[in-house]
Amino acid sequence: MKVIINIVGSIGHKSLKFIAHIGNFFLFCLSAISWIFRPPWYFKKIIFQVIDIGYFSLPVVGLTTFFSGMVLALQTYNGFTEFNSESTVARVVLTSITRELGPVLTGLMVAGRIGAKMAAEIATMRVTEQIDALSTLGTRPMQYLIAPKIIASVLCLPFLVFIGNTIGILGGYTIAIFKLDFNPNLYLYATIDNLQWIDLVQGSVKAATFGLIISMVSCYFGFNASKGAEGVGYATTASVVVSSVMILTSTYIITALFFG
Amino acid sequence: MNKNKTKKTILDIKNLKKTFGNNVILENINFSLLEGESLAIIGASGSGKSVLLKNIIGLLDPDSGSIKINSTEMVNLPRRDKENILLQLGITFQHGALFDSLRIWENIIFKVQNQQKISKVNGRKLALSIIERLSLKPEILDLFPSEISGGMQKRVAIARAICGNPKILLFDEPTSGLDPVTGSVIDKLITSAVNTIGATAITITHDMASVSRIADKVILIDNKTVAWSGTPKEMMTSNNLRIKEFIKTINPKLFA
Repeated sequence: MKVIINIVGSIGHKSLKFIAHIGNFFLFCLSAISWIFRPPWYFKKIIFQVIDIGYFSLPVVGLTTFFSGMVLALQTYNGFTEFNSESTVARVVLTSITRELGPVLTGLMVAGRIGAKMAAEIATMRVTEQIDALSTLGTRPMQYLIAPKIIASVLCLPFLVFIGNTIGILGGYTIAIFKLDFNPNLYLYATIDNLQWIDLVQGSVKAATFGLIISMVSCYFGFNASKGAEGVGYATTASVVVSSVMILTSTYIITALFFG
Repeated sequence: MNKNKTKKTILDIKNLKKTFGNNVILENINFSLLEGESLAIIGASGSGKSVLLKNIIGLLDPDSGSIKINSTEMVNLPRRDKENILLQLGITFQHGALFDSLRIWENIIFKVQNQQKISKVNGRKLALSIIERLSLKPEILDLFPSEISGGMQKRVAIARAICGNPKILLFDEPTSGLDPVTGSVIDKLITSAVNTIGATAITITHDMASVSRIADKVILIDNKTVAWSGTPKEMMTSNNLRIKEFIKTINPKLFA
């Protein structure tokens, strides 16, 4: 009986902790968003973040989407030849990349690269009392540390996704032309012909949402870090895992809203 | 004595209580400080000294009680007003808490830069004038905190705290982790900085030598409250069991 009570108690305790986490996260998000619209704005910090998130993420995003486009073209071709539908390869690559793969892969790569960095940086500042020091030096940490990261992430992700989509389609094109012997003009024509505004809009909405998710989640875990080096490690891991799960969940919700 | 009558009370704490959940950390804390006085807060690790400091600087809110800085009640004061008053404070944290991503000179003038938006040239000049007062070399101005030693980091943290001539200086274990020689240098710097800008100082320390060098007044935090208060001289000769026990634990040689 005691064992059962302990198990139920433990589940109850963890559930309450989880609910408290969700509540704290939403309060943190509301506070962070409110600070975005209040002066002073730290433009230098925003520009620095834009360069870090946007420019320095380009290689990893480019490589990931390029190879994904290549794999997609190859697999689609292999599968579709059985039904004599090779001509749809360009369309499948385009739709898959612009609607799902481009935004999701970009989001996951940025979560791994930037989300982890944000969480580790803020968590280190928390455990070394730098955030406390900021408060005592006439600066609001939410405004100085968090707001620039959120602004830069929401601004950069759509551009990164756009570039990632272009490179992904180029990856598919490369395989289609140089390995599968497609006619370059026909492939290009099929790609442009099937390009729809709604796909680009949906991709941008997803990208901006992912930018918000990555920055909010990473900053939240970093800002609430404790217990020294262990706390920094936990914040970093949790930020990447939670961001990734939220990206995959929200991509379904956004897809359902646009095409459901 | 007469001199003290003309000085005004700059910090007044009454019946302060702080809990974390069901855990009472501090209760019935009462003390006050006159302008220009230097107070040392001593107590065992985990006795709540840093929590008391964080309540004074507004990083934590007390459960009950009163904290008056320059006669202004800080508890429940609107955020903006609180921030304005806290700008009169200069604080050094236990591990320095210098900003890793900023150069030394940017760290030093951080508060002034935020308030006045001074130019880079003037900012460097201001930082230089302060580090010279603290016997630091000008070459470190363009380095990052990770590129200087622990002792230097503590001195830079003091430089950051005194930049802008705050009315109250708070030092959280300024000599912890330092060798006795560097610790003594830091104490001299604190005394000279406090005297130069005429500030009131609060120092949290475990170092008895430090207490006698920098403090006019001492309070012992023990069993969640102010267990003893007096001057450093009184502390060494006191018959109070708690203070005797504390000094004996910290520095057994004094009782050998």
